[in-house]
Amino acid sequence: MRAPAPTVYVVDDDPDVLKAIERLLQSIGLNVAAFSSPHRFLESYDRNAPGCLVLDLALPGLNGLDVQRVLEQQASVLPIVFLTGHGDIAASVQAMKHGAADFLTKPIDDTALIAAIHEALARDQVSRPAQLERERIAKRLAMLTERELQVLELIVAGRLNKQIAAELGTTEKTIKFHRGNLMRKMGVRVVADLVKLAQRAGVGATPGT
Amino acid sequence: MNWVETAWTMMIAASLMLGVVHLFVWYKQRSRYANLMFFVLAVSAAAYGAYELARMQAETPADLATNARWSHVPLAVVVISIVGFVRLYFNAGRLWLACTVIGVRLVALALNFLTGVNVNFLEITALDHLQLWGGAVVAGPIGIPNPWAIVPQLSNLLLVVFIIDASVTLWRRGGTVARRRAALVGGSLSLCITTAGSVAALVVTGVVHAPTVLMPGFFLVVLAMGYELVWDLASAAQLAAQLGASEHRFRAVVEAVPSAILLVNDKGLITLANAQAETVFGYQRAELVAKPVETLIPEHLRTPHAGLRSGYAGDPRARAMGADRELFARRKDGAEIPVEVALSPMPTRDGLFVLVSVVDVTERRNVERATARQRDDLAHLSRVAMLGELSGSLAHELNQPLTAILSNAQAAQRFLAQSPPRFDKLVEILADIVKSDHRAGAVIQRLRSLLKKEESQRHALDINEVVEESMRLMRSDFLSRQVLVSTDLAETLPMVSGDRNQLQQVLLNLVINGCDAMDGQAVDRRLLVRTRATVNGNVEVSVVDRGAGIPVANLERIFEPFVTTKATGLGLGLAICRSIVAAHGGRLWATNNPECGATLHCELPAKRD
Repeated sequence: MRAPAPTVYVVDDDPDVLKAIERLLQSIGLNVAAFSSPHRFLESYDRNAPGCLVLDLALPGLNGLDVQRVLEQQASVLPIVFLTGHGDIAASVQAMKHGAADFLTKPIDDTALIAAIHEALARDQVSRPAQLERERIAKRLAMLTERELQVLELIVAGRLNKQIAAELGTTEKTIKFHRGNLMRKMGVRVVADLVKLAQRAGVGATPGT
Repeated sequence: MNWVETAWTMMIAASLMLGVVHLFVWYKQRSRYANLMFFVLAVSAAAYGAYELARMQAETPADLATNARWSHVPLAVVVISIVGFVRLYFNAGRLWLACTVIGVRLVALALNFLTGVNVNFLEITALDHLQLWGGAVVAGPIGIPNPWAIVPQLSNLLLVVFIIDASVTLWRRGGTVARRRAALVGGSLSLCITTAGSVAALVVTGVVHAPTVLMPGFFLVVLAMGYELVWDLASAAQLAAQLGASEHRFRAVVEAVPSAILLVNDKGLITLANAQAETVFGYQRAELVAKPVETLIPEHLRTPHAGLRSGYAGDPRARAMGADRELFARRKDGAEIPVEVALSPMPTRDGLFVLVSVVDVTERRNVERATARQRDDLAHLSRVAMLGELSGSLAHELNQPLTAILSNAQAAQRFLAQSPPRFDKLVEILADIVKSDHRAGAVIQRLRSLLKKEESQRHALDINEVVEESMRLMRSDFLSRQVLVSTDLAETLPMVSGDRNQLQQVLLNLVINGCDAMDGQAVDRRLLVRTRATVNGNVEVSVVDRGAGIPVANLERIFEPFVTTKATGLGLGLAICRSIVAAHGGRLWATNNPECGATLHCELPAKRD
């Protein structure tokens, strides 16, 4: 199955600039959705569809960094290419720390912008399946009982059934039962896969928990 | 010659003398008809006196009768002139009574010639020789009384009534002079006429054997009237002396006044000029007098001035001339000087004179101009400093259209590179490029104008436009400071007269201050700029912030120079803003809002056409 064409979202409160960038991106055949208000963008973007965001840093009400924070809270992987009027170093550092794809200074050269967008779209293509998997694992983890989670953590830590039973103050038979249930819920057949999944989901990442 | 002749001759001569004196008075002052009347009275009294003297020396009854008949002619003139004198001199007395007195007297005069030997006797039968004190012997009439003698008596009676009535009227008017006049002239006249009438009646009826002597009575009347008239002349002379002194004082005051003074008559000619006028206008006084006042007015204003002058004559009030505009005068050397002029009307018998006071304000204008220049310089300096503060924002305002232009141009290049080239897109792209270019051009224009150092110029301004333009200039600043700005602009506002750059400076300053006031706070960084028409027809711009507000003690102090609450800045901004607003005839003040923050108000007078 071929993935749908990615959407390039553009958010800038200056209508002239917004229109010009939209036009530039359309000239190279990109699918563009332009918004003059960050709120309108947040209301209407599709977090499951591929794409990237070209975002002006200085916006009235909700500025670029605020929008980035909201997207982060919504667990969106949409890569962001920031535009700024003047090279604001503090803001760019903060934006990059939070995973901005690029940071361009206005006026923007078309090649730089197009390159940044292509890179962002490529990054989106990569991060989107991983994100999907992360979400899938998270969904499965959510189905586990508390006891099964405890057992999972200990399995990931490399304990044997007997050791687990002793640690949790129960019988080895009970542990086997939990283990069977959680393997089924997580959709794996062998322990190696279970450990891989759990690590990807960050379970038992820090020893001692 | 016995004493009677001597006395009568003297009285006649004295009456004539007094009469002639007042004829001269009348001749010099034609409006003094009372003096003319007095002359007629005195001369006719003298004439009657001459008849009376001859009558007392009559040798036959026929002589006496003829004399008595003709003596009624001057007698009638005496009566008529008394009436005239009283009317003119008292400015009182009933006209109908006056006419009746004269009418009856004329009837008596007619009867005098038509009946008997005269109006008093049908016939004079004998002479009554009367021995007087001191051995003098005079003749008196014995005869049959004329029944018509009642007519002259009636005339006398009416005359007395007329005089008393006029005297009472005069007395009631009050005033020492009028009352004395009423008592002295009115009293002596009434007394003499009553006495004379009674004597005549007694003699005619034969009750008393005596000559009908009226002359002493007339003489007393003449003396009393003469006294009054001379007193008038004396007081006129006194008045003239006072007037002279007063004019002397007037001239002394006019000379001492530090401004130029001109007295201009109703024909627009200068009649008086003081020493200061010589200094101000550079003319000698003699050169100014009798010249039209327009001589001192710049040539191009002379014709309108003549019109204004006649307009002033229609509504003469003491006032400053041309209070709403600058006035200029022309010196002898042709130089035009700025002046202030005050006018006071002086109504005189010779028409409306105007006292013109002119002050040369060249020096004051120079000082004012220098002050204004300093204020403009200071305003410019602080404007440049303020634009420095805003430079980031201003650069951004230029950057936005440049960004749009670049992206549009590059989009066009890419559309053209396609095959087939997308020419259809070019029309709107180029239109947008032009639009953005204009936008950038406008920012640069405004900046250049704000940075330029030029003398303040007044134009008709829509304050809403100034607000909107300022908001555009500061847009990026609001964004980077994360201040939400809203405007509430009145739809119909009168225009104001002002310097665009300076008023924009004031507004930018107030807005920057409002933003500064909210710098430290995490939330609610909102600023409102509002315009409205005030109740008195002016325009008010308010900048409302939601900061901490201003301590009450500082509400006025913040407008003093070098008073600042900020870590940076000289504290000149608001002081300069206030001086700019004041120079525009407006005011700038601060208030605290009910809930939070402060409002800076700027009221500007509406432009009057």
